[in-house]
Amino acid sequence: MIARFAAGIKYIFGLHHPGRNLAVLPDDIFLVSYPKSGNTWCRFLIANLAYPQRNPDWGNIDQLIPGPEVATKRFFQRMQRPRIIHSHDPFDPRYKQVIYIVRDPRDVALSQYHHHQKRKLIDESYPFDKFLPRFLAGETNEHGSWKQNVASWLAARYGDSRFLLLRYEDMIASPQSELGRVAEFLGVAATPQDLARSVEQSSPERMRQLEKVNADKNALTKGTRQDLPFVRTAKFGNWKSEMQESSIAAIEAAWAPLMKWLGYELASREPRLVEDFAFLPSERPIAVQG
Amino acid sequence: MFNRVVDAAKRALGLQMTDRDFTVFPDDTFLVSYPKSGNTWARFLVGNIVRPHENVDFSNINGIVPGPGATSDRDLRHMPRPRIIKSHQYFDPRYPRIIYIARDPRDVAVSQYHFQRKRKLFGDDYPIEKFVERFVAGHTCDYASWGEHVGSWLSTRNGQPGFLLVRYEDMIRDTAHELSRIASFIGVDATPEVIQKAVEKSSANKMRELEKSQAQMFAITKDTRQDVPFVRSAKTGGWRSELPEPLVHKIEAAWAPLMRYLGYELTSQRVEKPGALDTILQTATVS
Repeated sequence: MIARFAAGIKYIFGLHHPGRNLAVLPDDIFLVSYPKSGNTWCRFLIANLAYPQRNPDWGNIDQLIPGPEVATKRFFQRMQRPRIIHSHDPFDPRYKQVIYIVRDPRDVALSQYHHHQKRKLIDESYPFDKFLPRFLAGETNEHGSWKQNVASWLAARYGDSRFLLLRYEDMIASPQSELGRVAEFLGVAATPQDLARSVEQSSPERMRQLEKVNADKNALTKGTRQDLPFVRTAKFGNWKSEMQESSIAAIEAAWAPLMKWLGYELASREPRLVEDFAFLPSERPIAVQG
Repeated sequence: MFNRVVDAAKRALGLQMTDRDFTVFPDDTFLVSYPKSGNTWARFLVGNIVRPHENVDFSNINGIVPGPGATSDRDLRHMPRPRIIKSHQYFDPRYPRIIYIARDPRDVAVSQYHFQRKRKLFGDDYPIEKFVERFVAGHTCDYASWGEHVGSWLSTRNGQPGFLLVRYEDMIRDTAHELSRIASFIGVDATPEVIQKAVEKSSANKMRELEKSQAQMFAITKDTRQDVPFVRSAKTGGWRSELPEPLVHKIEAAWAPLMRYLGYELTSQRVEKPGALDTILQTATVS
């Protein structure tokens, strides 16, 4: 009852987290992805490009590009417009301008597994074999399964001029040109030097360094295990060496059509042939190199 | 400020109208559709098979198959379980079991136009051209565009366990058959007699009759124009006579792949969707 009363007081003063009730403004831009798909990295890249004078770090990134589960309603009301907001939500029609980052689900599964250790949700003895079925069922977070999250956005918005699809793998392979696409989408005039500087300022090494300084000031890292870094490998294709064949096969069996559509090459010999995504356009992202 | 205090108090007591923000239980089944796709009819049908000995009508349907927009979270939590809940929400990962009703968007547009007239959102002289333009953009209701709504659910759940796709057109053609599919999905042991009885008790004529005396007892029809009926034609293909050709093309151009996927025949020879050129490789139609 006291907790409810406190929540009520917070609500009256707009100090609660708006979550899905966030009042969306027509010029808002949303940076959306399934968790562990490069969202934080992309926030640093964009913040370094759009707000260089603020020296983005782990302490202020939640103010520069806030999320509706972390910042308060009042904070959102007072933000300078146009606001750039990050989110892990599956399709939400109120989000009109969306940058969507997608990542190979085989790497997402590994990344989330390690992140759950860092967050003390599981310990190191917890077997990946036990984690994976929960991951596939969408039970490891509140944003649906990987497929549901990705598919809901693609089915609703792919092809829309206000929807920019980025692949994490392309961002790793050529961060500068991908950030250039983001800048264009945002309407930010950026020279090649600006782009290069932002990429440098947001490199994994630099982000790891900054993380050491103020991990306690960021909602994502606060109260988590400090012996495990938030910025882990910052690579793609880890699944090839870290994942057992049976796990790879399980992910591909579940989501082969969408993975293929996104250009993620399958390792299993016989992926499922059911075409679940026949209504997505045949014009699709180019295959990932490397 | 005062409104906020009232709002906060309602929230603290669980009395807020819920819409998207309510407690979902693992044994819930959701009856989901875009607005004007046969949801109320399906609620009557379902209500009449889960309560075969009661007379389901506009005054009690919200107690049997409630809609979160018209019921508080507390009332919903106190309902007997398993619950069957009506919803117009776009994809929500929390919904465990879903009966999804899809309807030809050309008919949905016509139906929504008349319904918004009934709701006095515009007058009888409001041009349907203007309406369809807003309809395609998803600006005529709070639940996204038709394509976004249907796409968000089909792409995430269709073909998976816990998801039953029902087309309004099939419900019209063979109501008893579609209702028995629904009955077995929700695990109700309904005999052919119960099904037949439910179909009769939920017929368009029966519902029109009930609407006449009970329109004020139903959240959806309360305070709307009484000269425009809620249960209108209850048919399929009304768009052929009511929608001018350019508007038909506009709708088909926006959602051709999804319409084809659902088996809705297109009148346009070749449809180009801006930004996404050659659309479908494989046509998987719904049987």
